Amino acid sequence: MRVPLTSRPVLLFVVAALVTWALAWALLGAETQLEVLALFCVTVAVAVVAAKMKLDAPVAAAASSHPRALGIACVVGVLALAVVFHEDHFPLLLLCSVLLYITACLGLNIQFGYVGIVNFAGAAFFGIGSYTAAMLAGHTGLPHVLVLLLGGAMASLISCVLLLPVLRTRGHYAALVTIAFATLFRSFLEVNDALGGPQGMRIPALNLFGWDLGADHEWGELFISFYDNYVLFALALAVLAFVLVRRLERSWMGVAMDAVRTDEISAKVYGISIARQKIVAFMFGNLLVGIAGATYGMMTGYVAPNNFTFADSLILVSMLLLGGLGNPWGIVPAAALILILPEKLQFIQEYRFLLYGVVIILILLFRSQGLLPRGIRRYFPNREAARG
Amino acid sequence: MKHRFTGYLATSLLALTVALPVQAKDTVKIAYVGPLSGGNSALGIGGRNATDLAVKLANENPTSKYSYELVVVDDECKPNIGVQVVTKIATDRSIIGSVSNYCSAVAMATLDIYKKFNLPMIVWGAVLPDITYAQKISEIHRVNGTMIQPNMVAAEFMVKQGYKTWAILHDTTDYGKGHNRYFSEYLQKNGGKILGTFGVTADQQDFTAELTKVKELNPDVVYFGGLTPIGIRIRAQMEKLGIKAQFQGTSGIKSDSYIESLGKELAEGTLSLTEGVALERLPRGAAFSEAYAKHGYDQPFEAYGPFAFAAANLIIDAIEKVGPNRRKVNEELGKTKDADTVIGKVSFDDHGQNIIPLVTKYVVQDGKWVVWEDSEYGAGKRKLKGL
Repeated sequence: MRVPLTSRPVLLFVVAALVTWALAWALLGAETQLEVLALFCVTVAVAVVAAKMKLDAPVAAAASSHPRALGIACVVGVLALAVVFHEDHFPLLLLCSVLLYITACLGLNIQFGYVGIVNFAGAAFFGIGSYTAAMLAGHTGLPHVLVLLLGGAMASLISCVLLLPVLRTRGHYAALVTIAFATLFRSFLEVNDALGGPQGMRIPALNLFGWDLGADHEWGELFISFYDNYVLFALALAVLAFVLVRRLERSWMGVAMDAVRTDEISAKVYGISIARQKIVAFMFGNLLVGIAGATYGMMTGYVAPNNFTFADSLILVSMLLLGGLGNPWGIVPAAALILILPEKLQFIQEYRFLLYGVVIILILLFRSQGLLPRGIRRYFPNREAARG
Repeated sequence: MKHRFTGYLATSLLALTVALPVQAKDTVKIAYVGPLSGGNSALGIGGRNATDLAVKLANENPTSKYSYELVVVDDECKPNIGVQVVTKIATDRSIIGSVSNYCSAVAMATLDIYKKFNLPMIVWGAVLPDITYAQKISEIHRVNGTMIQPNMVAAEFMVKQGYKTWAILHDTTDYGKGHNRYFSEYLQKNGGKILGTFGVTADQQDFTAELTKVKELNPDVVYFGGLTPIGIRIRAQMEKLGIKAQFQGTSGIKSDSYIESLGKELAEGTLSLTEGVALERLPRGAAFSEAYAKHGYDQPFEAYGPFAFAAANLIIDAIEKVGPNRRKVNEELGKTKDADTVIGKVSFDDHGQNIIPLVTKYVVQDGKWVVWEDSEYGAGKRKLKGL
């Protein structure tokens, strides 16, 4: 009982995907004041028209009943962007940052969205990944795949220090613990000379099995920016993380985590080990954040304490909230908006964060649950889709 | 009615002919990179305004061959954001040169990008010596000095005054450590003797332990590399322990709050050798301050504004001379020798570093920081301690 390809929802979905892609392309490519302004108007117009024609609900329904199609569309979209911008370093760098931040946010999503631990030290764990990569890649001959994994493992390992206080506290108090850690981490980096002190240090470019991701490709007329290498790798990483997180969510672990978040006492009554769920979520989440951080560090080629301030942790958390807490799909547009928008507003110089803040507040005003709020858990999605 | 229309036509035609030569000029873009948000934004905005002023003055000048456009980007003083924005300006081929970086970490993170895309840049504020000296990158230049120059001058100056022995205190940040390193190096070259070196943390309150040791060593001078808050405490506690040595600081203590907190008597005679300009002493300084005031910027140009202005002028002059081509402009900048700028003469060495050290010696006299040459100390009417 599959929906025929020519049916209205399918057409709508294809049109929506194309429009979204075009907007993403324009957002990455817009340079001048005029282009950015035009893009902003077009986006608002599209949103208004879609709302007026009541197109958003069927598109959302089509998308959520065909998650695989949506996933494939996203991957194809990113690849298409990588092809279109193959010569332009800057849009590709932005695209890459977005993909890596998505990976990191997926990790935080397990903690905040599923099990309910607010982690305000996201940037610190991201930084642990970067610094581990810098030390290992700079001073040892370890293969870089291992370096990335160890970056994640290190973030996960160091987060063990926080386990006890996080388990013994709840809500705001647990958040406070992570805030303290974020501050601690930064001071530690600044006084530690072996780690470069306040000036930071360089990291060599990523090299996977002889594939030097830091090198441009040139075949005759064709020039391909080295950031395309990173886009491919970051895309693979993001897809992998995404699939893992979705699987986790659909599994009994995911159900248990949801139970812990919504009501710890009832969860305990039903025999769910709260400590276990929290430990798994916290450590696995930080593993993802650490791997993303290690890759990001090797891409930008430099780590310094200033990259990983408390403000950056807040940015990570705000991506989760803007996207819609607990919905991994929401992270995608949220990360894109939060990372690219301030960059595109560079022309208003010192006022850009003001305007950027206003835009975020407006979005949350009209969509208070985030861009793509998490739906109610459906235990048999295929059956329901077939019925619908 | 008709009359008025012809009038309009005539005026607009006239305007067009006047405007034509202006429009015929090609537009050349130069970039500015600095922190416009976050803790260092005051200095960043000052530098931005000064660069903007240089561009405006070039555009107002009827003899300039090109009309200039400034592209401003904010690096937030973060290396990762720096990599982003510098990639952006470096890949924009219409940008010919860049006035770049107040923050040393951002400069270090982005050096390779300037190199990769052959974008000539001039550092206007970052002081880490490694930026120019760790590698030899022809695209990198710097108009401001590093922490090397003031210490070089300080060591020579102090030895010439007749001092022989030093005790060094420094805070353990990059700032303090760097100053300790370079001052010690140049002091030994000049024949001064260091009796002891003490590292203190930036928020230390009590220095009795270190200073008791210093008293025992009985040096001629106590050198302090660090910022005002602990500078004040150290100077005050020196008095309490009865250390009679001369007190010498770095740019970190040259602030009005140093004198206010210590009081006139205690602060009297304190020396501070700072890297930087006393604008009023330079031939072009007054003209710059005047132009800045005339263009109505809301914020002051701050300590490093003149450096940004000088950097922008060097880039514009090079473009005027060889045309808007990155490689040629870069070559031209590399040849800069005795260029007359608002911060005095500028000459780049083979690492692109300005080697004409601009160091101002300040001494506290009657509750004010006075330039040494203008002071009664400099004139020989008053004597520093122990001389």
